Amino acid sequence: MRTGLAIVMCVALIAASGRALAHHSFAAEFDENKPVKLTGTVNKVEWTNPHIWFFMDVKSPDGTVTNWGFEMASPNGLLRAGWKRDSMKVGDVVAVEARQARDGSHNANAQTVVLSSTGQRLFAGSPVQPAP
Amino acid sequence: MKRQFTVAAAIVAALSISLSAQWPRRGQTGIPKGPDGKINLAAPAPRAADGRPDLSGIWDVSPRREKPGSAPPGQPPLAVFANLAASMVGGLPFQPWAAELSKKRVANLRYDNPDALCFPQGPLQYHLDPQPRQVYQMPGRTLIVYESNYGLRTIYTDGRPLPPPGEPQPYWHGYSIGRWEGDTFVVESSSFRGVQGGLAADGWLDQMGSPFTDALRLTERFRRVNFGNLHIDITIDDPKAYTSPFTVRVEHVVVADGWELAEFICHENQKFLEMTGRAVQK
Repeated sequence: MRTGLAIVMCVALIAASGRALAHHSFAAEFDENKPVKLTGTVNKVEWTNPHIWFFMDVKSPDGTVTNWGFEMASPNGLLRAGWKRDSMKVGDVVAVEARQARDGSHNANAQTVVLSSTGQRLFAGSPVQPAP
Repeated sequence: MKRQFTVAAAIVAALSISLSAQWPRRGQTGIPKGPDGKINLAAPAPRAADGRPDLSGIWDVSPRREKPGSAPPGQPPLAVFANLAASMVGGLPFQPWAAELSKKRVANLRYDNPDALCFPQGPLQYHLDPQPRQVYQMPGRTLIVYESNYGLRTIYTDGRPLPPPGEPQPYWHGYSIGRWEGDTFVVESSSFRGVQGGLAADGWLDQMGSPFTDALRLTERFRRVNFGNLHIDITIDDPKAYTSPFTVRVEHVVVADGWELAEFICHENQKFLEMTGRAVQK
């Protein structure tokens, strides 16, 4: 049973990983050796093809505010996983782990996005959690 | 570091899809079910009104992988999206300039990949893209609509011959005619733009930037082996780019649980151009 589950997960992983990551050459835009961890308030969500982007204001310790943009997957994969275009809302406070743009701009490719108020991982897994 | 990141990214991606349940599905008719109520992928392939196998349906690329050289005798090596030669021993039979161009395209971080630039993908890219494609088989023609970059291929089955190469003009998708040999749908294509199209995104056979030229003659043999599985053996005959023809296998599995294609208008918010310095940042 456990082996069966592992096989199912492996198949799902292989089948799905390409779908979410397929479209662009990640390496042409982002530098995997430039990890960033940021927390901020979402001020814009672009639910668009070929990739979803969201923007948030990040306050540094000295009080200055920088607006960062984050690339995510394509809407098609997220729609199939059950997410909706308003699953992330302006005003949400989120913690993001990402890889920064090669050009040094305040843009990054988001790997994990966690909603600070609930701990829910946005746009990962199903929004409706299955029974444990 | 690289590997860790790749694995982590793959897991994130897998988790985001594998629990799929909320996409508004549509009920489908004619789906064979087993005693357990699940889709019976091994049921016989459906037949069209003319008695031929019906290839119509939505198809995902198969997750199957094989080790290089391990395909059974007589079966072409399996192509995968990242590299059509992944299962071949010794790689593709490149002409020297073609090998150089492939290396250059990869070294350049696939900057000019047509997929990333929202241009039509190369024929193997379309076949292997993780986004699904829908086949419409009808009298006189078979259409394939690719969700990725919203590509459309028309395969004429009304008995017309291929036009003279490059007439009336070369196409990104080539010009395709199809015929049946028993239960195998044989599609021949020519009149591709290839690298002579003149854009850096022209003539990408796969994600490795393996080139093709205006001399490409593509032969695809489609076999729906049962309800759930479609095998396509593809011969690439392009003497300008390769020293000999070669054949690879593409495998698709049916999508029959109610998912449909999603609109994918690639230029809607194409930040790739801005991020790679080819458009002004908004």
